[in-house]
Amino acid sequence: MSYTGIREQRMDTDTFNDAGGCSFDIAGRFKTKCLKRADRTFQQGLQCQQTNSIMALLSMEDSAFVVHSPLGCYGCCSASNDWFRVGQAHRGHFPIRNARVIVTNLDQQDIIHGGEQKLREAILKAWTRYKPKLIFIFTSCASGIIGDDVDLVAADVQNELDGVIVIPIHCEGFKSKVNASGYDASFLAIKKHILAGIQKTETDDSLLNLFAPPTVSFADQMEIERILSDIGIKANYIPFYASLEKIQKIPSARGSTAICKVFADEFMKDLRETYGIPFAHTIMPIGTRNTDKWLLGAAEVMGKTKEAQAYIAEEHKKIEPLIADLRKRLEGKRVVLCGGTGRSFAAAALIDDFGMKLAAMTTTTLDNDALADIEYLNGVHGNFTIDIGNMMPFEQVNMLHKHKPDLFIGVPVWAARMGIPTTHVLDIKRPTMGYRNLVYLGNKITHSLENPGYNKKIAQYAHLPYKQSWYEADTFKFIKEF
Amino acid sequence: MAQIVENPHGNCSLGGACAAFSAISRVVPIYHSGPGCCLQNTAGEPSQASLRLPYYVQYTALPCTNMLEKEVVFGGEKKLEQEIEGALEIYDADAFFVLSGCTAGIIGDDMEGVVKKFRDRGAPIYAVESAGFLGESYRGYEIAMNALLRDIVEPAEQKPDTVNLFGIVPWHDPYWEGNFEELVRLLEKLGLSVNTWFSHEQGIDAIRASSQAALNIIVHPWLLKDFAGQFLDRFSVPSLRFNGAPLGATDTGAFIRAVSEKLGRKEAGENLVREEERWLYRYLETGIGLQSWRRFAVVGESANTVPITRFLANDYSFTPDLAVITDYVFRDGDKERITQSLVDLEGPFRPAIVWTGDQWEINSALEQFPELSLIVGTTNEGEYAGKHFIKHLVACYPNTERLIYNRSCCGYRGALTFMEDIYSNL
Repeated sequence: MSYTGIREQRMDTDTFNDAGGCSFDIAGRFKTKCLKRADRTFQQGLQCQQTNSIMALLSMEDSAFVVHSPLGCYGCCSASNDWFRVGQAHRGHFPIRNARVIVTNLDQQDIIHGGEQKLREAILKAWTRYKPKLIFIFTSCASGIIGDDVDLVAADVQNELDGVIVIPIHCEGFKSKVNASGYDASFLAIKKHILAGIQKTETDDSLLNLFAPPTVSFADQMEIERILSDIGIKANYIPFYASLEKIQKIPSARGSTAICKVFADEFMKDLRETYGIPFAHTIMPIGTRNTDKWLLGAAEVMGKTKEAQAYIAEEHKKIEPLIADLRKRLEGKRVVLCGGTGRSFAAAALIDDFGMKLAAMTTTTLDNDALADIEYLNGVHGNFTIDIGNMMPFEQVNMLHKHKPDLFIGVPVWAARMGIPTTHVLDIKRPTMGYRNLVYLGNKITHSLENPGYNKKIAQYAHLPYKQSWYEADTFKFIKEF
Repeated sequence: MAQIVENPHGNCSLGGACAAFSAISRVVPIYHSGPGCCLQNTAGEPSQASLRLPYYVQYTALPCTNMLEKEVVFGGEKKLEQEIEGALEIYDADAFFVLSGCTAGIIGDDMEGVVKKFRDRGAPIYAVESAGFLGESYRGYEIAMNALLRDIVEPAEQKPDTVNLFGIVPWHDPYWEGNFEELVRLLEKLGLSVNTWFSHEQGIDAIRASSQAALNIIVHPWLLKDFAGQFLDRFSVPSLRFNGAPLGATDTGAFIRAVSEKLGRKEAGENLVREEERWLYRYLETGIGLQSWRRFAVVGESANTVPITRFLANDYSFTPDLAVITDYVFRDGDKERITQSLVDLEGPFRPAIVWTGDQWEINSALEQFPELSLIVGTTNEGEYAGKHFIKHLVACYPNTERLIYNRSCCGYRGALTFMEDIYSNL
């Protein structure tokens, strides 16, 4: 059976979204298939897969977008549009433009009578206004439940128009608890509607498909491209700020890799099967060790292992003196962190580069991939508390209360209110990844720890909305096996 | 029928409702919706208003049933019941409002049935039908205001020196907190005690007692009509409507005079206007010649476009070329009222008025005025302004580039900061 785009339905791994406990125990039970299915009887808001589908593609050139939904599902487009505008500024693309997003604005009438006619009109508007090469359609919970035949409308309109590919992306929020499913939905659609029919005719031996999620800053893109270029690898940087031509070039690459572990990982398997393109699936290149690992992975599929090894040695010589002092200042500090799959595991390994200890972490999904990371971290940090969940701030503050760490890494909204120094490794606008950017990141972490006045002072007045009794309760009491 | 729209200047009714409830101290909204609505609405409302996040509970800390395929097929009432039990156990709150998203709305879960069981046990929890497909942000704001009026407000003895101030849409209008502060400041100087429902120290108790007001002051051209009618019928509180939060000396003076006359404080009103104008014009004198004449367009919701257009034309002698109203004003009477206040200007110049929230149509409207040298609008107009080298100030929703705490865009103080923001030496 071919992959559906729903992460819970992958055949080669179990997928857990609700679990919590000691990392040794969780890893052991997952491995021996003794971890029981569970759900949170109380939970807070998740990120839906539609958000990821949209984020992945909104910066594409030559493209217009139709969101088939009520107005609310445009919310994340606004955030993505902001990143897109900032990204243009950083890249020197002026005047800065908006992403072309048209919303069908489904209302009560449409819910009863169907929204297909409106969808058709919206696609035609996108075409008339911008004459794009690509029109992406994103479905929503509402369009999915009322059963609009989005594929049919898309195919019909494409037949009527000349020179545009209309690409429906099935990303209804209710279909998956794993928001990364939305990335898969986008790539499945790209495969079906753009790559289908493109044969691999020749291989460009120095070309690497570099799949980059939209949260990678321009500074990070430049650093990653610099590193690759230094060992003779050209990056086909996709789909962030990419064009149709760059997507069409995918089959001609010699290898593939991604900057984020849950970005295009399923798609790269597909490329290997269809085009015989090998891929590297390692870790996000944050910190020296992760960057080494990431680069060696990419180099291996490109036949550049020797060059990479020599290069890494050189880079280490340059970077290590720059961070030696930071390591001294961070040694032994205890950290709680929370993030998506790629960032959280990368950050957990990164803090060990600096001699810090992991007390607890929240990450979104537990699967075979995550198991490998957890086992690696168990080896590095020993037993730590692991929370499998998509943010769940109520569990986060409970853990912070119990662990009282020196530093929190993640979205600071709640930890800062507790007076805990905070920092993060998700900077869409500034440097985080690779070798050279590690100095900026290291300084950010160190300075957050050494100069925490903002959080300390806010905490004197800040509130969190929870009862005192919640802080004393078992962090995972709402996770119920079934 | 809700129109197809490019880069919309609005979010859905669930977002609008949550924006209002999450602006009330010690209140927790509970989403009965698909996964993602909390985040989409946060990105869509507060993050496009003033960039900040709601104070009490916000973002992914909002409780949510995260309905998946199972609930869509078999119903989500059981899940909602568990969710409420958990929320009551962990949150320290004065009231909970269960809000439906599209998913719950389409499959038709009986939220009130679930919620009533908890209310019968004494929990302050209420169900609000707010599914996104019901309409836009404003519809959501009205749904929230009507729910509060229905479920919370109780009869009370009227107090002649108390007023309610409504119509500034929380976590949606970029200046909502500053505008409340500036108008409250002025009304307090008239000797009034002001209930906004959303001010820092107010909360459910203030809302409950709001029937004691002598007057509802509504600073919005068309919202809360039904709400005002109910307030009058149930509590005999009349309403006085203004077409937005007044900006600058002319409109703020008219606002103060109208309120003070209505409440028998005419002399206090006159004194206040004189005092504030002296303060304002002392500053304005020192800025003479710094801002040269401009032809301007305003793009924003009616509640922003009207006061800004009037202020720049009447009090600053700039020339109004275009006024774009981005909210969906659907009643003819409301359109006339808005039009009237946009053409009833002191000088001989009248702006063209365009009714659309669609970015393509907005840009097409702007193209009709090649001499524009100022666009006061939303982040979306940055593209047009950048392409044509026109000074651009973001003062209306959606705003994704200006952090706004309590800056105001109304009254006397807001007039000064607004001119500071418009200034450019380029």
